[in-house]
This record gives sequence, structure tokens and C-alpha cells, in this order.
Amino acid sequence: MKKIIFLFLTLGFFSCQDHQKELAAVLAHGDTLNVEYANGFEIVEYEGFKLVTVKDPWPQAEKSFTYLLAEKDAEIPEAVEYDEKIQIPVEKIVVTSTTHIPSLETLGVEKTLKGFPSLGYISSSKTRDLIDAGKIQELGTNQNINTELLLEIQPDVVVGFSVNGNNKAYDLVRKNGIPVVFNSDWTEQNPLGKAEWIKFFGALYNKLPEATAAFEKVEKAYLEAKKLAKSTAEKPRVLAGAMYRDQWFLPYGNSWQGHFIEDAGGEYVYGKTTGNGSIALSFEKVFQDGKDADIWIAPGNFTSYSQLLKSSEHYRKFKAFQNKQIYNYAGVVGRTGGVLYYEFAPNRPDLVLKDLIKIFHPELLPNYSLAFFKSLD
Amino acid sequence: MNTKIWTYFTVGIFLFLGIVFLNISFGSVKIPFSETLTALTGGDLSHESWEYIILEYRLPKALTAILAGSGLALSGLLMQTLFRNPLAGPYVLGLSSGASLGVAILLMGGIWFGAFLGDDLFSKWALVLAASLGSLLVLFAVLAASLRLRDTMAILIIGLMFASLTGAVVSVLSYFSPAANLQRYIFWSFGSLGNLSWIEVGILGLFWILGIGIAIFCIKNLNALLLGERYAKSLGVSIKANRIWVIVATSLLAGSITAFAGPIAFVGLAVPHLVRQVIPSNNHLILVPSVLLAGAILMLLCDTISQMPGNAYIIPINAITSIFGAPIVIWLLMRKKKLIF
Repeated sequence: MKKIIFLFLTLGFFSCQDHQKELAAVLAHGDTLNVEYANGFEIVEYEGFKLVTVKDPWPQAEKSFTYLLAEKDAEIPEAVEYDEKIQIPVEKIVVTSTTHIPSLETLGVEKTLKGFPSLGYISSSKTRDLIDAGKIQELGTNQNINTELLLEIQPDVVVGFSVNGNNKAYDLVRKNGIPVVFNSDWTEQNPLGKAEWIKFFGALYNKLPEATAAFEKVEKAYLEAKKLAKSTAEKPRVLAGAMYRDQWFLPYGNSWQGHFIEDAGGEYVYGKTTGNGSIALSFEKVFQDGKDADIWIAPGNFTSYSQLLKSSEHYRKFKAFQNKQIYNYAGVVGRTGGVLYYEFAPNRPDLVLKDLIKIFHPELLPNYSLAFFKSLD
Repeated sequence: MNTKIWTYFTVGIFLFLGIVFLNISFGSVKIPFSETLTALTGGDLSHESWEYIILEYRLPKALTAILAGSGLALSGLLMQTLFRNPLAGPYVLGLSSGASLGVAILLMGGIWFGAFLGDDLFSKWALVLAASLGSLLVLFAVLAASLRLRDTMAILIIGLMFASLTGAVVSVLSYFSPAANLQRYIFWSFGSLGNLSWIEVGILGLFWILGIGIAIFCIKNLNALLLGERYAKSLGVSIKANRIWVIVATSLLAGSITAFAGPIAFVGLAVPHLVRQVIPSNNHLILVPSVLLAGAILMLLCDTISQMPGNAYIIPINAITSIFGAPIVIWLLMRKKKLIF
């Protein structure tokens, strides 16, 4: 009996080794795409298929996901392991965040979008036209996607995102044989890293060269603007956020927003802080640190000075308030009220940076007009 | 009143004064004691921002804590006596649910009348008004019910039913509401003491005085009620009139506090029990002032903890009141081995 067990064990061991060898042989031929700024994904191209790995599908995720993107009739070696298989180029897609829409438009594939939760938030003009023509199905809200409608569309892939890995609707969709891939562009802290996720969509449509070219254009514009901002020595002190009741919410210094302020030649009041999410500070702390800040950006959802005052009289005491140096993106909206910044900023960090440079150092960009930000009314 | 009670009161008042000063001196920003004293006595401070923090932020916050703590504690006592039920608290009449409904309709239903409200959607006054209207709606419903009902207990059930009803409407609203609006509602429901201006503290104080006044006027009847409704009747207490006055006092107190500071949990339920464990008396002449004092002390203490000295982060007041309050009540009950009620 013992011998038999031993035999099985050795056989199992050898077959396992064979499998490993075969896999290694296949994977050795892969071509890893150059991803310079983004930390969250990796793309390796092979003959007839690609392997896309999403490393951090959500913050503190314990596992990564590997997606097999296979061209029609491509031969996939059996040894390849993956979580989802998607046939490319994708012909019918459902995405779940407005930040995905500009990538689709840049790649010229907005017509493949068949469904979206909360259509009202979308502002991208070509997609908006498609919605008005009734070509895109409303799918409810993202937390509670209408699964029946989604199943009826039968998309080739659903590009989802998850805050913590729990989304029952996705499980149900997957059970019905529709692959769900996680896009975690929103966890990237580097402005260019977020924009680089266009390559993720490029892979889905077999349009990696186009995606790379589009990204490089943005990258070049960003780096040029950053260099321009460096040319000035004087740095205004910058405050951000606003109070909910008596707590002031601000981005961390190492966050996406923090990077922008630094690259635009501003000195963020909490530039030295590090962490994930946003900091909640007491009023008195922010008052002490930020009352003399020269410029104040993104105060919550406020779009006018009178709104700020109605919410709290304390705001009056800030220098940026007195000098009317408060700028926000909340008031710049698209045709159906979606805030442009939320939709386009991740894809166009170059424009965000130029906006901030124009605000911090107007003399550097005399002819530029703001894309996302607006002075408070 | 015997000397023991007087000792308790003297200790309580000193404790109260001490903690008021502690509350005003401690906060995220470190300000030396001497500077705090100078600011309070009207002197000039070395930092202009310190003066503003103490006089325009910490002082109104401390006053709000005193008003809210004492008001809620008294409402809790009134409800516990009226219903002769140790589980009753200031919100059993559904006041906080009514307020929540008002605020939820304003913040999350705002999509439908956002254009009509415009800038006012951001205004604190709109929140206060919405919360008050919501509370009033529930109050009138409860009052109407209490005029028709003979059994006081039925009012308790009706209050709970209103709470479920409004809770359901709020969840439907939150389901359809965009994240930003939902966030504003959630923050309101956390409760906070720190965003009241002097004018608002003044208005809250007015309601507080009215509520306390009516409660004091009811003390004799409350004592009679403790012996049972029939006995109280035989003493010449008009059960219905008394019931209505007690409900009005509670609504004025709990309603205005919820409107300005959000639904602050726990204090109203726990403080009367805390007081009864320390001062074994059923006389409302003693209980009312003790509960007022203890409520204020507890609230100031919780607020001081929530604004941990030297710590820039604030913990929501609602979390603190329960995290620190519940173990104290449990400990006291375990020690005495029985509920004094």
C-alpha cells in the first residue's frame, strides 16, 4: 500500500514539474509591455493572446487577477493559468466608471459600449450622443447593478471596480459566463500612473500601439508643464478640502491630488503627510495651519463664496477666502450635470496640471484657459 | 435634602467647572493654560489665531456640549418616568427619526427641488429647519395619538412605529442618492458639537430654557406618576395634561438638540441610570438637577476625548458617547447587582 502511495506521489510530482516546465517555456516567449508609471497592472503579449495582471484590484487586496485576452482561433497552451478569459478585440463592453469613458473615446471604440450604471454622470460628447440615440442601456447604480438588464446585453466583458472585493452583482454576472475584469486605476497615486491605464483598454481592443501613443502624448504634455512650473522659484501655499460638520477633509500629501499641487509649483499645507484615502482634521488644526494659505483648491462641493459662508462662518477668517483665491471643479459640469473633473482628470493629468499652474502662477500660462477648475462665484 | 446629597452636588459642580476648563484648554492645537485663561478673561493673546480658536470655536462647542448633554439626559429621565420603562430614552417618541427624515429629504431628495433651493442647500439653517420640521411632524402625530389613547404604553409603541416608518423612507432615499449627498447625510447622522456659531448656540439655549422650565413645572406630577397612574390620579394629577407637558418638554429639548447637533445617541438613555446608581433617590426634585449636571459633565468629557489633545484627528462624538458610556453603565449595574429604577 505504501508503495502505491509513493508511486502516486512521485507521478504527481513529475507531472507537476512537467506542467511548470511547459508553462515556463510558453511564458518565455512573452513580450512585456513597458508600463512606466502605473503600479497596478502588467501586460505581457504572446502570439495570439495577451496576459493582463491586475496586481491590486482593490486596496489591501490579498490576491491579484490574471486575465487571458485571446484573439479569435488563437491556440492557447494548456498550461496557461488565468482567472477570466476574454475574446479580443472586444465588441460589446459594459464599463462602470465614468473614468473609463474617455479611454474608450480616445481609442475610438465608444460604439462598443452597450451599458453603464447611472448614465446621467457621463459627459463625454460622443458617448453622450450615443446615449441620446438610445444605444446605451441604463444599468441602475454601481452598488446595485441591474443584473437582469446586464445579462440581456450579454457583453464580451464587464469592466468593474471594487472598493473591497465584495460585489454580489459581479459574482452573479460571472456565474452566467460573462467575464468581469477589475480596473483599479483609481488606486494609483501617480497622476501619470492613472492615465497609463488607457493601455489596459488598449489591450482589450487589441489597440496597444494606439493606447501607447495616446498616453505618450499626455505624458509629454505633462512633463513639459511640470518643467515650466519648476522654472519659477516662488511657491504659493495651498490649502484644500472643506468641512463636513466640524471635520475638515483633505487629501494626503502623497496622494494623487498632492502630487499635482507639488508638480504645479505649489506648497501644499499638508504636503508632508502620507497615507491612503483622505485625512480628517479638526477645524482648529486646519485653521492654525491653513489660515494664511494663498490659494485654496477643491473645497468639497461648494461652488460659491456665499455657499461656503452659509455652511460655516469660520471660512471668512481664511486669507484665501478674503482674497477670493478659492478654486473648485465642482461647478464645471457636462450636459447632464456630471462633473467634468471626475470623468476626465484621471485621463488628462496634463490638463489638470496646467489648470493648477495657471491658478498658482498665472504669468506662466498667459493664454491658457482653465479646463476643469473655476474660481468660486 | 440631607447633607449627603449636598456633598454630591458640591463635588458635581466643582467637577463640572473643572471639566469645562479642561474642555476649553484641550484640542488639536496646543494652547498653554495661561493663554486659555487670558483669552477667557478678555486679554490679548500672543497668537491671533488662538484667540479665534478659543472664543469662536471651543467656547461655543463647550456650551453646545453642556446644553446637549444636560438636555438629552433630562429628556431621557422624563421619558423613563412617563413610560415607567428603564429602556426609554429621549428618542423613543421618534423625534430623531423625524429629524433624520427631514434632513434626508433635504440632502438626498434635494435632486428634485435642488434648483428651487439653490445655495440654501448648503446652508446650516436649511439643515436645522429640515430637522425641526421632521421632528415637529412626528411630534404632532404622537401628540394626536396621545390625546386619543388611554394607555401611555401605546404611545411608546407608536413612537417606535414612526421610527421604523421614517427609517424605511430614509433607506429608500439613500438607495437612490448620489454618493456625495449620501456622505453629507451620513456625516449629519454622526452628530457633532463643533459647528455652531454663537447665534445658533443662543437659539439652542432658548429652547433649552423653555424645555427645562416646563420640566421643572412638572416635577411634582412626575413624582406622583412614579407610584402609578391611578395613584397619581387620586392625588389630583391630570394624567393627560401632564403627559402632554412632558412630551412637549422632551420634544423642545431633544428636537432642538438633534436639529443643531445631529442625533446624539446614548447620553439620554444612560445618564439617568448613572445618576440613579450614584444617588439612590426617586425624588425628581433631586433627580432633575443631578441628571442635568451629570449629562453636561459626561458630554464635555466625551467631547474632550473626541478632540484628543495634540491629536489632529477627530472621532465622531456618537462613537465616543457609546464606547465610553456603555462600559460605565455595565460596570455600575454589575457592581450594584440590581437596577435601581
